[in-house]
Amino acid sequence: MSDELEQSFVKQLKQNQNIIHKICRLYTRGEDAHKDLFQEITIQLWKAYPKFRGDSKFSTWAYRVALNTAITLYRKSTRSVATQSFEAERTFIRQEDYNYEEEEQIKLLYQAVYQLNDIEKALVFMYLEDKDYAEISETLGITEVNARVKMNRIKGKLRKILNP
Amino acid sequence: MEELDLLKKDWKRRENAFEQVSEPDIYKMIHKSSSSLVRWILIISIVELVFWTAIGMVAGTDEYLDGMDNEAFRIGLSVLTYVNYAVVIGFIYLFYRNYVQISTIADTRTLMKDILRTRRTVQYYVWYNLAMIGLSMAVGFVIAIVCSPQVAGLKDVITHDNWALTKTVALLFVVLCLSVGLVWVIYRLIYGTLMRRLLANYRELKKIDFD
Repeated sequence: MSDELEQSFVKQLKQNQNIIHKICRLYTRGEDAHKDLFQEITIQLWKAYPKFRGDSKFSTWAYRVALNTAITLYRKSTRSVATQSFEAERTFIRQEDYNYEEEEQIKLLYQAVYQLNDIEKALVFMYLEDKDYAEISETLGITEVNARVKMNRIKGKLRKILNP
Repeated sequence: MEELDLLKKDWKRRENAFEQVSEPDIYKMIHKSSSSLVRWILIISIVELVFWTAIGMVAGTDEYLDGMDNEAFRIGLSVLTYVNYAVVIGFIYLFYRNYVQISTIADTRTLMKDILRTRRTVQYYVWYNLAMIGLSMAVGFVIAIVCSPQVAGLKDVITHDNWALTKTVALLFVVLCLSVGLVWVIYRLIYGTLMRRLLANYRELKKIDFD
């Protein structure tokens, strides 16, 4: 019975693993930290899996557990403060319509996002993932109005970091 | 905001750029143990219990007490020891219950509230331990002076000389404060490091509510 559960979990996680990777991209820097957080999120998802009833999509459910892990449970490992990952990750998209100016700006944007705190990152993440404010507020446990206010402030904050 | 939309464009473009983790690797991962904050708090508190128990055994206070002629002190102190064990086991149970109750399915704010309850438990635990250390040291000093044969000479001196009495009491008081202070610093280092980031995040989330 537990084998069956394990199998279906592994399968679904494999299909949806990009959600976790994306969170790791925002919350960690460097390959080691990325792997570390990926593993911790996987463990937390597995621990919570028996309570997953399938009345929501696996992905929707995974968003919540994964974000919660990144924000509250995960202890950042101090051994990885590497910044080179960003560069390494980017090189292979360069062939298609490469626009130097835009590329530079995107780089700056990522750097700005890295300076945000964990909660702000969560909002940015959900914004980038096209989540609406209803879902954002439900995930974080705040009201929709507050989510909007917070998002506007983050935009302001990013603008400030970009144009000091 | 155009900047964030630019970021979104790039975000979408790189959506499938991740090195994929294979099924066997996922199997391996789910059989590893978590390194989550709450788990650490549970582990540290259990290690601590074992540590203090071991110290108590090695120190051999029982034999020391057996050598004393004051029955009341001996009984009092062993009662204190057992009460202490009961309370510490109670705390371990609370830590465990917090650990089990914390659920990542909850919304982030609720989850944080639950974790902060764990933090409060830790704080109570720390205060209890500090009080206990202070109390048992104070009791220990009194017992030593009143009935240990080794310090009979000192006892003789301080019962006749008020100044010597004052000096002795002051010295013992300083020793007591230093010991409690040292343990407090250690606790701050261990649990403080664990909780700092979580607390910052919780404040951040709460801030939105009251602005």
